[in-house]
Amino acid sequence: MLGGAGVAGALSACGNSLTTADNSGDGRRSIKVGLVIPQAGVYTALGIDMKRGWDLWLERHGGKFGDYTVTTVTADEGETPQTGVPAVQKLLQSDQVDVLVGIVSSATALGVKDMVSAAKKLLIVSNAGAGSITGPGRSPYIWRTSFTNAQVAGAMGRYLSTTDIKTAYAIAPDYAAGAEAIEGFTKEFTRGGGTVVGQDKPPFGKTQDYQPYLSRIQASRAQATFCFFGGAESVAFVKQYAQFGLSAKIPIYASGFLTEGGVLAAQGDAALGVKSALHYTSELDNRANNEFRNAYQARYDAVPNCYAVATWDAAAVLHRALKSPIALDGDSLVTALSSLGPIEDSPRGAWSFDGQSPQQEFYLRTVERHGSSLVNAVTGQLGRFGQST
Amino acid sequence: MSAVPAGLGYARVSLRSGALAAAIAVTLVAAPFYLAPYATTTLTRMLVFGLFAASLDLLVGLIGLPSLGHAAYLGIGAYTAGWLALHGLTSPLALLLAASASALAGLGAGWISVRSSGIFFLILTLAIGEIAEQIAQSWTAVTGGSNGLYGIPAATVGPLTASDVASLYYYVLGGFGVGMAMLWSVSASPLGAALRGIRDNKTRMRALGYESTRYELFAFVLAAAVAGFAGGLLAAQQRLVTPSDLGFTTSALALFAVVIGGSGRLWAACLGAALIIGVRDVAGLTVNGHGPLLLGLLFIAAVYLMPHGIAGLPRRRK
Amino acid sequence: MPEWVPVAMTATINGLAIGLLLFVSAVGLTLIFGMMDVLNLAHGGLFLIGAYLVAESPTWTTFAVGLAAATTIGAVAGGALSLATAPLARRPHLDQALLTLGIALVIAEVLSALYGDDVRPANPPPGLDGAVPILGHQYPTYRLAVIGVGVVLALVFYWMVERTKLGALFRASVADRDMVAAIGIDVRFVRVGVLVVGSALAAVAGFLGGPIYNARPGLDSTILVLALVVVVIGGLGSVRGVLLASLLVGQIESTGRALLPSLASFLLFGALAVTIAVKPKGLLR
Repeated sequence: MLGGAGVAGALSACGNSLTTADNSGDGRRSIKVGLVIPQAGVYTALGIDMKRGWDLWLERHGGKFGDYTVTTVTADEGETPQTGVPAVQKLLQSDQVDVLVGIVSSATALGVKDMVSAAKKLLIVSNAGAGSITGPGRSPYIWRTSFTNAQVAGAMGRYLSTTDIKTAYAIAPDYAAGAEAIEGFTKEFTRGGGTVVGQDKPPFGKTQDYQPYLSRIQASRAQATFCFFGGAESVAFVKQYAQFGLSAKIPIYASGFLTEGGVLAAQGDAALGVKSALHYTSELDNRANNEFRNAYQARYDAVPNCYAVATWDAAAVLHRALKSPIALDGDSLVTALSSLGPIEDSPRGAWSFDGQSPQQEFYLRTVERHGSSLVNAVTGQLGRFGQST
Repeated sequence: MSAVPAGLGYARVSLRSGALAAAIAVTLVAAPFYLAPYATTTLTRMLVFGLFAASLDLLVGLIGLPSLGHAAYLGIGAYTAGWLALHGLTSPLALLLAASASALAGLGAGWISVRSSGIFFLILTLAIGEIAEQIAQSWTAVTGGSNGLYGIPAATVGPLTASDVASLYYYVLGGFGVGMAMLWSVSASPLGAALRGIRDNKTRMRALGYESTRYELFAFVLAAAVAGFAGGLLAAQQRLVTPSDLGFTTSALALFAVVIGGSGRLWAACLGAALIIGVRDVAGLTVNGHGPLLLGLLFIAAVYLMPHGIAGLPRRRK
Repeated sequence: MPEWVPVAMTATINGLAIGLLLFVSAVGLTLIFGMMDVLNLAHGGLFLIGAYLVAESPTWTTFAVGLAAATTIGAVAGGALSLATAPLARRPHLDQALLTLGIALVIAEVLSALYGDDVRPANPPPGLDGAVPILGHQYPTYRLAVIGVGVVLALVFYWMVERTKLGALFRASVADRDMVAAIGIDVRFVRVGVLVVGSALAAVAGFLGGPIYNARPGLDSTILVLALVVVVIGGLGSVRGVLLASLLVGQIESTGRALLPSLASFLLFGALAVTIAVKPKGLLR
């Protein structure tokens, strides 16, 4: 065993990728990107949105970042790090990709930190929202184009404290992201003079029926409910909130994921009037978003959402970083990303990196019916938030 | 519960199987020299899961107690080793402490569980496993909650560090050897014979003066300890421990690895585990999210085509 | 009136609705196990088929057609399952579990291919989509209707198992399968019948539960685990036990969570562990 460990040192060099071959000469440069998205399990729908954002950017830009022709290798992240970590490992060791993009689960994003750092490869997280991914103790090679959980919730908390609402009930699933959301909301809401009169954390992934919590919310006599839910849980929560007659009495103010993407249509009229904070909505009226939305709808017959935009923007920042030819190792790419400045032409509006995670404008969105479909209409601007605000 | 007839159990090691074992050992030791890095990584993962499945086979195959919560002990070991490594203890001592922590937990859970049997044992162990997962989710100060323990430093043996693909492989292979040797020595001993006797005819063994519950508890604790040891290797291999490591899916995959391999034979459990990891992490990653479908088809095919598991194939062909 | 009174009150009524729904979901599982000795892990998949069939069913006509379809598909699936498990009659439980788990994974994959990976919303039929006030809290009418249907089904099953000849045969099979065969009763068609009825019930339960849970990938395993818990707490093969355990679990999931929200994650499996530790063969065996 000990002797073997000695031999191993000599072999370890095999783990590093050798991609410089094509990239030394004239214009025939290429870059290999590993796209890590859930293709099975509960987050599959998010994975589809992310892949669409990625594919659409490449389609509309000739499949190139700068002069580099892009090859994409997709790997299934699954639901948990048990599948997500091997997926990243495969892309790094077997496919020898230059850059990694994607990742929905924060546990997976945090779990691959050492692996990515050891390989000195750039990872652009385009969904996972745990603060610590780009917070203290971060890897210099892990950047993010999405959001942090506390950032989104904090935007809602600060806004709510400026309204007539002084008491709120906070509810989020019992896992790390839910805790970060409640914390982020509470911090900003109480700073502005509000009081969180009660909070609940229903078991994550094991709660189908919110009735016990809805009764508690009503009994608390709070003026508003703050919540953070996504996917199937957001559909169950919003529909049951309406079925139990709460939406008429205690309005919902949420982290925007509650009504973002495919879940909104599933919630149906139960979602009408729900207010939420997010850094994107398909209804944003700016030139970049109008073009993006039209192209997206034409290509996929679907309305784009923040998950597609974050992965679209991951492609956009890589394009900017590779404007002038550089080496594709993590250090060179990180240096290029550090000097990008504001990204003006994103569908979400202009944003920039605050450290390694976006500083961006947040919008107040209200669910309205436009024709036959429901949309998150823009009903206010909440100001710019960085990851550290 | 076992598909293997009595008499074809663990104890008989013929010359031929001895030679086969030696050949396998050589193949395993040489693996990093002829395998690509990712294949070595996958093999490392197979070894960890294989040892874990073999520890479960001690319960399922040897004494006839099918557990659906065995991942709890893998997880407790992994969290213990991961926590110790994060606090500075990266030596193999952490593996022993991981095994001890799991043994202790197994003593408590086993004391409750071994009074039931069959499907009730199955579901009771499932419940205890779910509770363990919930504790891992909730006890954030120690376990890191749903994000788990990450940034675990590499394991060390004396001055050597198991940080790159090959050295990590050898570290895990060494641990695998130790764990398997331990399981083997128990199953080949008179104690193992007594355990098999209880599996085949509990009443008769009771009449002979064997207190079956005590033996079952012993097997449970031992299986938990080896699972915890495997958990320690898991922490070193993944450098990450999350609640899903002790969740239901992990338990179920291990149980079905034992069944597919052919319960009652430790090496068969390892093969079953290798097959499942292979399907999930090699084939599954490249079929656009149809990994679960592959697993489902594998399960169905295994039941009809390999009624005695992989272990039963050679006999059938004769 | 202190605030916890209406909270506890609505939670108790809700626990009854969830519990009875759980009874319909789980009773088939216990029938199949009692009669055939098969632990059918594909049961949750059948529930999910039912849930998808009720999704986007806007009128009473579509509701009725969907219910008939769910019953038929469930019954046919039960017949297919009896064919698939027949060769395994003398094999260990684990082999049957492996097979039915494999089938469950395949069903899930087929449903995901047919319906996509987004949540499919299901709404109650017209007239049942409102709410009635209970102590100042609104309570959905549909859930009250589920209580009604659940009570009727529970009574029908109780009568069938305890009072009819078929029921006597079932109970005899649970007690001693070999003896029933030895005294010359051909139980083959009864076994097929039990799988057909049990599977149809699972699909019907999914159909009834759809408007509460919605249809989505993953719901199958959630329901399967709940049903397993109920069946085991009740004592395998006991219809009365399943009823008792369903009502208990309904209350744990509802009233338990309302009054002890911080322990919500531990309540269900804690109760299961305590039950089996104290009564190793379930409450009523």
